[in-house]
Amino acid sequence: MNDPLDNLLDTRLREEMPYLDDAGFTARVMKQLPRRRFSLSTQRNLVIFVATIMSVVIAYFASGEGMFVHDAFARAATLQPLQLLLIICACATVMTIAGLWAALTRARDSIG
Amino acid sequence: MELTDADLLARVLVDGDQHAFGELVRRHQSPVRGLLRQLVRADVELADDLAQETFIRAYKHIRSFRSEAKFSTWLYRIAYNVFRENARKRKELVGIDEEQLQAETDPHTTDPALRHDLMNALANLPLHERTAVTLCCQNGLSHDEAAHVLEIPLGTVKTNVLRGREKLKKMLAAWAT
Repeated sequence: MNDPLDNLLDTRLREEMPYLDDAGFTARVMKQLPRRRFSLSTQRNLVIFVATIMSVVIAYFASGEGMFVHDAFARAATLQPLQLLLIICACATVMTIAGLWAALTRARDSIG
Repeated sequence: MELTDADLLARVLVDGDQHAFGELVRRHQSPVRGLLRQLVRADVELADDLAQETFIRAYKHIRSFRSEAKFSTWLYRIAYNVFRENARKRKELVGIDEEQLQAETDPHTTDPALRHDLMNALANLPLHERTAVTLCCQNGLSHDEAAHVLEIPLGTVKTNVLRGREKLKKMLAAWAT
């Protein structure tokens, strides 16, 4: 590579490959992509959803058609108003923390 | 922190994330379009059409990418196949028009003014040398990677690069004097 012509050639060849501005190229490609099929994560979510629904239905019939719900409400009715308020606040706090955690995790993973 | 190609690929594969694929297109569109422009001799519209086909084909077959090569090398390979299929349709495949291509490399039949421009000199190389020189000297692929892209033996790539460079040097030398 001591040949000055070689050096000239190397330099010129690299210079002759400038960066091509996107100029809407990516958008045109994206428009022509085939429609998205169910991704693995969507399939997984679907399986979890169906499994949950089936579990609920099985539990409902296995527990005497939801008598445990009736019992739970009956027990809740015997609670003091302050106890009920505390339980509701605790549930709301847990749900808020879980929601915030999910949102922050998603934001951290998002692209650029 | 910028995601790597591997991260984006994982998102495309696992989540079917088209935005991640869009990011990959944005990253690699310039070298792929540049390569195709060299192959079709600066026919910008045709090169961009082939580049689009390259990325669409890459998306459709993304599950066949095995990470044995770099994603860019895999894209170049698809681009070269897309170009070959198109050239076959236009009856410009290597070998068919080789005589014409060889005639174009003859300095006596070339307009001397063209020699002032390296791109024109490069465009006048036979297709197999032009492709090898473009991949190795412009796009920075190793000989091994170029052999993988072109599906030809490593020794052939080295020979094509060497011959191409020698021809370019001759053209540049003539231009310099």
